[in-house]
Amino acid sequence: MRKKSGKRLYLAALLLFLGGVGYLVISGISENSVYFLNVSEALALPAEKLQAARLFGTVGQEGIARLENRPGVRFQLEDKDNTARTLWIEYEGPVPDTFKAGAEVIVEGRLEPQSSFRAQTLMTKCPSKYQKENRS
Amino acid sequence: MTIYAFASGSIRCGFFVSCAAALVILAGLLLREKSGPDGPSSPIAGRLSALRLHDAGSAIILFSAAVLTTASAILLRAFITCDFVVEYVARYSDLTLPLFYRITAFWAGQAGSMLFWALAVSLSGAAFVLSRTYRGLSTQTRQWFCLFFLSVMAFFHMLLSVWIKPFVLLDFTPADGLGLNPLLQDPGMIFHPPLLLLGYGGFALPACLALAQSLGARAGLRGGSEDAAAKAAIRPIVLVSWSLLSTGIILGAWWAYMELGWGGYWAWDPVENASLLPWFAATAYLHTSIIERRRGKLRRANLFLLCLITVCAFFAAYLVRSGVVQSLHAFGDSGVGAPLLAFTLLFLYMAAAAAFARAQSDEALDEITSREGLLMMTAWLLLAVGAIILIATLWPVILNGLRGVSPYLPAVLGAKIPQTPMGLEASFYNRACLPLLALLSALLLLCPGRTWKGKPGAFLHRRILYAALAIAGISALCLWSAGIRHPVALSAAACSIAGISGIILHFAAKPSRLVEKSFLAAHGTHLGMLMVILGVAFSGPYQQKYTLELGRGQVGAAGGYRIAVNELYEGESRIGADGKPGYRFLEAELLISSDKGARVGALSPQRRFYAKFEGQSYAEAATIFSPGVEIYAVLLGIDEERQTASLAVNVNPLVNWLWFGGTLMCLFPLVLLRRRPSPDHIAENARPPAK
Repeated sequence: MRKKSGKRLYLAALLLFLGGVGYLVISGISENSVYFLNVSEALALPAEKLQAARLFGTVGQEGIARLENRPGVRFQLEDKDNTARTLWIEYEGPVPDTFKAGAEVIVEGRLEPQSSFRAQTLMTKCPSKYQKENRS
Repeated sequence: MTIYAFASGSIRCGFFVSCAAALVILAGLLLREKSGPDGPSSPIAGRLSALRLHDAGSAIILFSAAVLTTASAILLRAFITCDFVVEYVARYSDLTLPLFYRITAFWAGQAGSMLFWALAVSLSGAAFVLSRTYRGLSTQTRQWFCLFFLSVMAFFHMLLSVWIKPFVLLDFTPADGLGLNPLLQDPGMIFHPPLLLLGYGGFALPACLALAQSLGARAGLRGGSEDAAAKAAIRPIVLVSWSLLSTGIILGAWWAYMELGWGGYWAWDPVENASLLPWFAATAYLHTSIIERRRGKLRRANLFLLCLITVCAFFAAYLVRSGVVQSLHAFGDSGVGAPLLAFTLLFLYMAAAAAFARAQSDEALDEITSREGLLMMTAWLLLAVGAIILIATLWPVILNGLRGVSPYLPAVLGAKIPQTPMGLEASFYNRACLPLLALLSALLLLCPGRTWKGKPGAFLHRRILYAALAIAGISALCLWSAGIRHPVALSAAACSIAGISGIILHFAAKPSRLVEKSFLAAHGTHLGMLMVILGVAFSGPYQQKYTLELGRGQVGAAGGYRIAVNELYEGESRIGADGKPGYRFLEAELLISSDKGARVGALSPQRRFYAKFEGQSYAEAATIFSPGVEIYAVLLGIDEERQTASLAVNVNPLVNWLWFGGTLMCLFPLVLLRRRPSPDHIAENARPPAK
């Protein structure tokens, strides 16, 4: 009899625990979700929707300019598959070591109305350690 | 040329041989199962069992290890002799690379790291097959073990000969290679990948052994006793692998902090998260296995958890190498994703089948407030953190799948699924995981002192517990008044301070326990873990970041410190004593003083330019080491015209506790290794405890 009540206690504790974990996860998902988009997907969305987004793409060859008087960079983010589709990114902060034209990058930030995408974070993919594509 | 053809040929041969051996062993086992324990019923079965399949199986495990060792030696030789006809060598090394980094370039890319992983698995298998423990196993167990382990090896051989070939040759021999990325020319990065891979590799063996042990016991002994020797061998192997994996993770974080120059150590990137999945599963197993060892319970759960560790290790490889989630440093998809996923799912299925097919069910646990209950809750917590990380990492993929089935869902649910790809930002992980880690530190305060039996309040050293609880309260008050108001950080910090003091008090109260290996290992590892939690609780939410633009002699302020630029340098370094290749550098010499003017120290962060990697520069961060607040500076660049340096200066409280605690955590489990259990001890533990 005692064993049985023990088992029930475990079940109750597990349910309570899972409830707590579930709450943490669900509240986190509802508040910390951001768009994960390629450039072409971002361009397809209305600007007011891009208030919090993580964009994936490559750094375009043209128009890379360091910001004046402060660390940061302005560049065009190209879609990985369709290089004609680009988005201007303005990033203020320390520029990663491996940032250069053609590098795969991830930016996080928001689209300012009528202007460029203002990024708070700029991350570059680890370069030579990881190869890019399937080679023949 | 021919030597490389030989290497890839023998890897392919290894696949066929281990596949064939696994099939024959399987046939033998199935036929025996059919014929029952009295003897073989058919002539084929008789002939198969006469073949001593377990011996043949172990021989082939040794053969596979020999093949992979030879192949690795050939690749290593190609790196040492700079034979750039091998594409992999040409891609990851060059003539100016010092010998040390030419050797470590072995695991710099996809194919080499896969070969290294396979080598680690096969060598661990070979060492086990040759060990005394292995000879002590029953033939049934050995046979099942060979079946599982050879299947794993066959899978590795297949990966290396179909999808990720290390010995692809170029049509011509380039004069020089492309060179190794400077970021990888760092001790932290050099040892981080192989340690992770050794850890992953070491987890394959215990899972195969546990499955073999369980199935062998079921088929051969018909509900009889378990193979105690096999059971006793599992935990030490998991401990070593756990230790290697932890070292790999900590080194990776340290490398990110010191070398990448972005000021943090953990970005919750999918690839980083992947390495945590097997870590949490293994940590959970190490706790539930105590219940099995000491009380003979939870056998099914442990079998499943052991397999889950291996599954997580393969799944981690899948995440990193398949391109299923966008990540900072994942390998591109090389077609290897599908087979890795298939293997992972198959193994998961086998694990579940083996665990739930066990005829005898386990004895129920004691009450939830007993030590068993507390250990169980620890395992829940660890698994929950692992599950949260898994779900969050895969969230974009899950949403994508849900979007696919949304037409079939009820309209209320379907409308809630966003139609654009979404994922979770880094703050999600902090929000969801850190409260659980704080809870874990609270459990660490209570659990080790709890007795196995007795009333809810029965603790081994009550006074120490009361003292620790008092310390928790007092430190919480002190921290609150010092301005630490972040609730999770505050409670985690208070619990870890109390836990650390509790452990020190335990040792102080009875210094003789320092020689007791299990006590020392458990408390030492926990001490390290608590220090890590303390370090994270402070350096995470209370890091301060500043960007400064200063000329010579100018002074800037950063978090209660004054940063003065003393001098700016430009220079060149040839291949030096530190073994790094030559580079050009810019350097800023900074003098740091406190607000009141007291001198704190000097910093010389550099920015380096390597000849092979033109157009890119690499930060060399500088820190003023301190157990308290560490000042961390990165030189972002020097403006030639205005002669100013732009700097990123971070103030990181208690960050060194993370590295120091991490080191303790990785080393203390090794204390247990020299403990060879006596046969009586094993027999006693294999029996369920008397009521």
